[in-house]
Amino acid sequence: MYWVSVVTEAGIFAILALGLDVVWGWGGDFDLAFYGYLALGSYLTFVLSIGKPKPPVEYIIGWHLPVLLSIALAVVVVVGVAAVVGAIALRNLRGIYFAVTTLGAVSALYLLVENYTPLFDGYNGVYGLINPGQSALNLTYNGYRVMFLVVVLVLLVLAYLLVQRLSRSPFGRMLRSVREDERAAAAYGRPVFFAKYRAYLFGAALAGLTGGLFAIFISAFNPSAWTPQELLVIYAAILAGGRGNPRGVILGVFVVYIGFIELTRYLPSPASRPDFGPAMRQILIGLMIILILRFRPEGLFRERPGLDRTPAPASQRVAAPTGARSEERGTSERATREEGASKAARRRAGEIN
Amino acid sequence: MSPPLLEIEKLTKSFGGVHAVRDCTFAVPEGQVTGLIGPNGAGKSTVVDLVSGFGEPDSGSIRLAGEPLVGKRPDVISRLGLIRTFQTPREWPNLTVMDNVLLARRRFADESLWRCLTRARRIRRDEEADRAAVRGILGRFQLTAVRNELASRLSGGQKRLLEFARIAAAEARLIILDEPMGGVNPVLGARIGEAVRQFAGEGRTVVVVEHNLPFIERTCDQVVVMDLGEVIAQGPFAGLRANPRVVDAYLGMDQSHA
Repeated sequence: MYWVSVVTEAGIFAILALGLDVVWGWGGDFDLAFYGYLALGSYLTFVLSIGKPKPPVEYIIGWHLPVLLSIALAVVVVVGVAAVVGAIALRNLRGIYFAVTTLGAVSALYLLVENYTPLFDGYNGVYGLINPGQSALNLTYNGYRVMFLVVVLVLLVLAYLLVQRLSRSPFGRMLRSVREDERAAAAYGRPVFFAKYRAYLFGAALAGLTGGLFAIFISAFNPSAWTPQELLVIYAAILAGGRGNPRGVILGVFVVYIGFIELTRYLPSPASRPDFGPAMRQILIGLMIILILRFRPEGLFRERPGLDRTPAPASQRVAAPTGARSEERGTSERATREEGASKAARRRAGEIN
Repeated sequence: MSPPLLEIEKLTKSFGGVHAVRDCTFAVPEGQVTGLIGPNGAGKSTVVDLVSGFGEPDSGSIRLAGEPLVGKRPDVISRLGLIRTFQTPREWPNLTVMDNVLLARRRFADESLWRCLTRARRIRRDEEADRAAVRGILGRFQLTAVRNELASRLSGGQKRLLEFARIAAAEARLIILDEPMGGVNPVLGARIGEAVRQFAGEGRTVVVVEHNLPFIERTCDQVVVMDLGEVIAQGPFAGLRANPRVVDAYLGMDQSHA
């Protein structure tokens, strides 16, 4: 059962990472508010489905909706909040300024939730969503957890197919052009803000969904379940797997969550130092980031551009690019570099076939 | 003379205390190649930025085929049919050469997030026509062999050609080239001049900002000369050498040309 729960958690975070990759990997915006959307989705799923609060517990709404409907509503509200944050942060701010603004937004949300108890019962948080629908489905507790794992994996596959389809589409290409050079993208007619904004809302919708899944997964939610720092592990996973490559992102999450976070539990831990394991985990993740940035900055799977495999007409195939000869460089050096370059392209084409 | 496609009137822009552009007025006739020349700091690039929406003038008006451009965003102006380049080629480095040119085809309707999710197959099928057109353009600019390379791997000269391939793919009414000859050797320079004339031959209007005067003389139908933010002369290139103001401002022009 332990591994069922580990894989479920990794699956949920993989969906989250797919959404974040659209925002950061394709759009280039280092969003630090993203984990807040998961948290908000989670809280809302609770307060929409667990019914009226019993004093001294207090929280807003307190409806008793079916859990699936609650998740759907939560996603809508999360996208609404992201629409406000994105409208402020994405309009003119880029790079570190954008990151700091989103960090400010999520910190404000965090402090509000923690200190304003009528919202989500402050530090105590909300709880009581224990295996919704278990009796209706006539399952045992463990049977339900296995079924939930299957549901998460099916949703992960669906999210992957959706994101993969988007990645290869004109939308994906356009968003990447905005990431690569915003001014050139604008000069060729792309509304930069609107492009980034749509990607942001799409990512937030996936984050809201993972929030709902997370609610069912841990059945209680309070501020200690989400700190803005959690997000950095997701960023590390995307970086490891391959920024901009949906398959790589999923692999990265499984490598980081199962490889680092869970396997480090088996590290021998001296009795005098119970914090050895967690500390080691942080060190290993940090080490992984450094090694990847040094030796394979594109990640395990690189972002894969769509290749044109239609053979060129014979007249053009051999044509040495005359423009290439224009630089001050010696032509022979040029020629060898080009040869190397087209070899790399053939290799990449081979990878796909 | 054909009616003007681009009309600039009393355009003024200062940065702090510096008048980059002052009361600048000129018109660009449709279907012709217009050179915009002047010494460094004359305000040429600022005019290009203002026209393409990458800056807002303090006063004055800009009209493209009668449509006012001041206050519009760069992407909106671009969709009205104006494509501009920058002094250094601004390719999208981590996209392939093919994707770079395909993006310049600007099929905006197919970039809707929703349509990309729901109509993926149909969009891919429609794109085939664009891909075929782009292959032709890549051939025209000798980029076929490198079409699957990331644009970042191209040489400086190839990046210039990629810029022209993108412009050809964009099918714009007005093309503004900001120093297309910067760091370009004579062979490629001839190729670029040819491309500019070809654009004009297709009925497009071209504005070229350039310091290379022989290139301007060969390629342009008329020339606008700027100095210290003002237009000091306008007309066919041949007439400029007799204009003392131009010779004065653009010191050494006669010598460099002789």
